[in-house]
Amino acid sequence: MRRVRALLALTLLMTAVAAAPPRAQTPVATPEALFKDDVHAQAGLACSSCHTSGAAPDGPVERTKIAPLCATCHANAEYMKTYNPQVRVDQYQQYLTSTHGKRMSAGETRVATCSDCHGAHGIRPVSDARSPVAPRNVATTCSKCHSDHARMSAFGHEGNPPEEWKTSVHAAALLKRGDTSAPTCSTCHGSHGTAPPGVTSVALVCAQCHVREAELFRKSPKKAIFDLIGRGECLTCHSNHRIQKPADSFIGLQVPALCATCHNNEMKGAAVITAMQKGLSDLDTGIVRANGVLDRAASAGMLVDDGRLALRDAHEDQILARVSIHAFADKPFAATAGKGIAEAARAEAIGNAAMGELRYRRNGLAVATLLIVGFLATLWATIRRLPSTGA
Amino acid sequence: MALRAWLLERTPLASIEEAVAHKSVPRHRYSVFYFLGGMTLFFFCVQVVTGALLLLYYRPSATEAYESVGFIMTRVPFGWLVRSVHAWSANLMIGAAFAHLFSVIYVHAYRPPRELTWVSGLLVFFITFAFGFSGYLLPWNELAFFATRVGTNMAGVVPGIGDSIVHFMRGGKDVSGATLTRFFGVHVAILPAITTALLAMHLVLVQYHGMSVPPSEEARVKQTGKAGPSMPFAPHFVLRDLFGWTVALALLAALSAFMPWELGRKADAFAAAPAGIRPEWYFLWMFQALKYAPATVLGVSGEFLVLIPVNLGVVALILLPFLDRNTPRSRRVIKGLATLALIFMIAMTALALLEKAP
Repeated sequence: MRRVRALLALTLLMTAVAAAPPRAQTPVATPEALFKDDVHAQAGLACSSCHTSGAAPDGPVERTKIAPLCATCHANAEYMKTYNPQVRVDQYQQYLTSTHGKRMSAGETRVATCSDCHGAHGIRPVSDARSPVAPRNVATTCSKCHSDHARMSAFGHEGNPPEEWKTSVHAAALLKRGDTSAPTCSTCHGSHGTAPPGVTSVALVCAQCHVREAELFRKSPKKAIFDLIGRGECLTCHSNHRIQKPADSFIGLQVPALCATCHNNEMKGAAVITAMQKGLSDLDTGIVRANGVLDRAASAGMLVDDGRLALRDAHEDQILARVSIHAFADKPFAATAGKGIAEAARAEAIGNAAMGELRYRRNGLAVATLLIVGFLATLWATIRRLPSTGA
Repeated sequence: MALRAWLLERTPLASIEEAVAHKSVPRHRYSVFYFLGGMTLFFFCVQVVTGALLLLYYRPSATEAYESVGFIMTRVPFGWLVRSVHAWSANLMIGAAFAHLFSVIYVHAYRPPRELTWVSGLLVFFITFAFGFSGYLLPWNELAFFATRVGTNMAGVVPGIGDSIVHFMRGGKDVSGATLTRFFGVHVAILPAITTALLAMHLVLVQYHGMSVPPSEEARVKQTGKAGPSMPFAPHFVLRDLFGWTVALALLAALSAFMPWELGRKADAFAAAPAGIRPEWYFLWMFQALKYAPATVLGVSGEFLVLIPVNLGVVALILLPFLDRNTPRSRRVIKGLATLALIFMIAMTALALLEKAP
């Protein structure tokens, strides 16, 4: 009887639970909860530090007043250095020069302000990988607006730069290899003073990292031509956001080579392009061949350190030769590529010599084995011929 | 003939010839074990010859050792062969020595009056490990460097004097050029000198006592009342020995040509130890056993607790002829213990080999 009662009670309880109205969902994170992890909370600031009745009444801060509100502290060098003597205080000044800042100052509230990128209540330092402005997260943060076609078309912007960037060699370096020195949106456009670089200044932006390429280009005959026709120096061949890993196939007079976009066999410079194409191809072929023979020799147990060193030199020359293409002339490409081809040939020769040595050793072993087997046969015959010693 | 007459007049050649002519080797089902000692001796001779050749070019310093071995392998005519034969022969010698040791235990050849033959042979066996340990560091490559660091560290678990032993072995706090220099000295001067003396004693005693006949064969002879079969030492046994040595030589040549001993990367004291580092195969069983040891047991180092039975086993092994009462029961116990030890060593080695690098 007691068991029946217990079972009845359990059934009623389960029915009651099943019939109960669903509870309201708990908010994922309230401003108070988010603020616990905020860098400002860790510095001892409170809600009232921003939400003061004078600067900002209770409730959300007006969008046009967010940047000035942040600037009350972040533009105050004397105040900020009490927290960090090295901290920068020019963010607001930079912001006012940015496209975002200029439009916001003009009353356009759809453009980004501090809290759009940094967050409002859970602000973390840039060095924190969870921060929306940490290098790996910048493109995603920018894409909140810049991948929104409806939003951006109102400002005359087409395309989807953050998504284009995600297909680039830079994104691969940052997102796949975790190389935080690889450029993201803010590296080229700036962060607080963000603005698209003009056609003439794109090369200066790229030159921040690609120093040698820019130096060669500035001295090249292309510089004057590009300036004359108003083409972006780097953009013309490499594009802006979807920059692909450069390949030797970019060089040549046949489509899809990039040079073929403007040049053909009849034009001036065709000979230089052909020579570069051949130089790069010969160098790459030489390196692949040398690598193959060195790998075979090494896997057979041969010591080919000299060959590896020569191959490393050839690789370095290949990188330099690819860079020297930006001079758009025979020099210094021909010399660099020629040196690389010679190094690759030397590496291959060392590999071939090792393989030859290996064949020599194995042939020697075969001869020695024959002699040893002959000796063993003779020895065995001699043993068999010895007088029996009895079982 | 004039030379022979000249020698007969000046040396005991006649008595040596007489002894060899009358020397015989017993023939029974365990006779094949008699060849194992000769095989170990053959590999030792190969080590002496190839080691002497390597000495012509090897430079025992942290800055030059690795480069000099590389030079031997790439520039010196047949240097690759000499170095590979030296390395392979070292391993085969230890393998042959193991086989010789266990065969002697299984046929109880250590029985009186061969106690000194046993002790001298066993000491040479232990010195062979010291040869392997000291020689392993000499190419001064990454693997050898870190394996030596691990190996010398083991001595540190000895209470009280452990640190001093480690310091003495390394010639400093850590493995360095000083360690290389003293390992080289030990490998090419001290160990060969001791080995030569012990080996001479061992061989003289083997000749003096003749080959030991297993107790089971002795019992059979007693039962039948007839002397067991034998073969003349020369030429019957010598030619068979020569046959085995020639096969070993062919094996060494094939291993050296098809699997040249690697040089690896140069040792770098500041580099991180490569993953899955472990000593040579003949130390693997001990290495693996130490891995299973707890950090401490009642305040005593777990590694020390593992090393105690190993060292007691070594002492018992040396005293084996004196511990064996030479009764069937005692011989069965010794055979059983030897089998257990062999199974333990093989199992630990297999576990170490099967263990994947982290």
